[in-house]
Amino acid sequence: MEKETMIRLEGIKKRFKTKAGELEVLHGVSADIKKGEVFGIIGLSGAGKSTLVRCINLLERPTGGKVWLDGVELTALNDKNLREQRRHMGMIFQQFHLLMQKTALENVCFPLMISGVPKAQAKERAKELLELVGLADRMESYPAQLSGGQKQRVAIARALATEPKVLLCDEATSALDPNTTAGVLKLLKDINERLGITIVVITHEMSVIQEICDRVAIIDGGLIAEEGTVEEIFRNPKTKIGQELVLHEGTNREAYTGRLPYCYRLVFKGGSENEPVLGQMMIETKGVANILAANTRTIDEQAYGQMVLQFPEEKELRNTMIKYLTDRGVVVEEVEYV
Amino acid sequence: MFKEGMLELVGTGFVETLYMTLASTIFAYIIGLPLGLLLVVTDKDGIKPVPWLNAVLGTIINIVRSIPFLILLVALMPFTKAVVGTVIGAKATIVGLLVAAAPFVARMVESSLKEVEKGVIEAAQSMGASPFQIMTKVLLPEAKPSLLVGGAIAITTILGYSAMAGFVGGGGLGAIAINYGYYRGQQDIMYMMVILLVVIVQVFQELGMKISKRTDRRL
Repeated sequence: MEKETMIRLEGIKKRFKTKAGELEVLHGVSADIKKGEVFGIIGLSGAGKSTLVRCINLLERPTGGKVWLDGVELTALNDKNLREQRRHMGMIFQQFHLLMQKTALENVCFPLMISGVPKAQAKERAKELLELVGLADRMESYPAQLSGGQKQRVAIARALATEPKVLLCDEATSALDPNTTAGVLKLLKDINERLGITIVVITHEMSVIQEICDRVAIIDGGLIAEEGTVEEIFRNPKTKIGQELVLHEGTNREAYTGRLPYCYRLVFKGGSENEPVLGQMMIETKGVANILAANTRTIDEQAYGQMVLQFPEEKELRNTMIKYLTDRGVVVEEVEYV
Repeated sequence: MFKEGMLELVGTGFVETLYMTLASTIFAYIIGLPLGLLLVVTDKDGIKPVPWLNAVLGTIINIVRSIPFLILLVALMPFTKAVVGTVIGAKATIVGLLVAAAPFVARMVESSLKEVEKGVIEAAQSMGASPFQIMTKVLLPEAKPSLLVGGAIAITTILGYSAMAGFVGGGGLGAIAINYGYYRGQQDIMYMMVILLVVIVQVFQELGMKISKRTDRRL
C-alpha cells in the first residue's frame, strides 16, 4: 500500500548572489518523503544537500519550486503562518546550536515558551523529553559542561518539544566520534519507531544512511542522481556517484593510485552459508582474484557483504568466474576503482 | 594642605560625578540599546533586513560620534537649556553626556550582539520564533556577558567625558580639578581629583568584568 506523503519537494531551485555573480546550487530537486519513514539525503560536500534541507523549512527560501508539509504548501505562506508551520518541524544541526547561557532544561523549554506554553507545563514536558533522550541527571547542566553527544541529545529533545511531525537532521553526527554517533543514531531510530516521527537525514556518510534510513536520495551537483530503498542503492548503485559513495565507504582511497583494470564489485548476503563461495570459485575455476576492499553492513537486519576484486586479464576466465558467482546469487558488476 | 571646607567640596564633587555618570549611562542605554538592536536586526544579514533604515541609522550614529565632545556640548546648549532649564551644573552635563554616549553605546551593543552565533539564531528560526522573540529571548540573553563588558567600558568612557565637561561649566570632580587645580594653580587638588577619577574607573571596570565573568555560562 502506498504510504501518504509528508514532505513533497517540487522542482526546488536555489540561487545565491555572490560577488562573482549568481550561483545556482539546486537545479530543480523533486522528492516525496513518506509519513513515518527515515529518508536520507547523501552527497559529497558542495553537492547542495545542506541547502536542500534548509529549503524544506524555508530557512533558505527556494528561488523556484514548491514545498509541501503534510498537504500545506509552505512556499505560499506568509511569515506568520510559516512560523506556525515550522513548529511542526524540529531541526538538529552539526554544531548543535544550543543556547549557551541556558541550562539543558531551559533549552528544551525554549521552543515551548516561544509557542506560548505556560512555564510550569513547559518544564514538565522538557523533563519528560530529557528523560527520553537519557539525560535525566544533566537537566541543570549548561551546554559548556556537556559532551558533544550529550549536547546533541539536548538538541534532539529540544527539537521534539513541540511534538513535530518531522525531524530534520543536518549532518547531526558529523561532529561526533563513532561511538557517540552510534548512540545518537540509535536514539533517532528509536524516536522514529516509537513516536512515528518522519525523519530526514542529511549526511555525507553512507554508514549513517545504512544505519537508520529506509530510503535514500543521492544528490550530486544540485540534482538528485538516484533514489531508492537503501537496500537497492547498496546492492546496485546505478550512477557513478552512487557507486563512489557505496564503494569508498570505509576504504582507504589514497591507497590506490590510478585506475585499476578489471575491477568488480560483489555484493552477497552475509551469513555462514555463503562464506565459502569465493574460495570455491577460485578452486573450481582456477581463477585468482585480488581483494582490494571488503566490508559488511547490516541493512534492515540483513547482513550484506561487499567486496571489490580485481579479476585476471583473460576474458574467458573472467567470464567463467563471474558466471560462477552470479549463478550462486552474488551480484557482480564491473566498477571503476580509483 | 587643604583649607577648611575642601573635604566637603570634594565630597560633593564625588557624588556629582557618580550621579552624572550613572544617570547618563542609564539614559544612554535606554536610547543606545534599542538602537544597537535595530542596527543588528536590520543589517543585510540580520533577521529582518531593512537596508535603508540600517544605512540612515548608521550615518546618524557616525555623524554624532565624529563631533568632538566639548564642541557637541557647546552646540547642544540651546537644546540643554530647553530641556533642563540651565546650561551649567551636573544636570545640564547629563544631557550632553547622553547625546554623546548613546551612539557610542549603540555601536558597543551592536558589536556584542554580532558575537551571537548565527547558527543559534537559525535554530530559533527553525522553531518558529518571531524576530521580536529572537531579539528578546536569544540575542540579548546570549550576548549578556559581552553586553556587561561593554557596559563597563561605556561607563568609564562616560566618566571621562563628565570630567571634560568641567571646562564648560559642568559639575563634579572634573570641574573641581579645572577650577581649583588649573585656573588657581593648586596642583595638589588637581592630582587628587585625577587619582579619585582613576580609582572610580578601576572600580567600575573591575566590577563590570567580574559580573560578566561570573554570569557567563560558557566557562
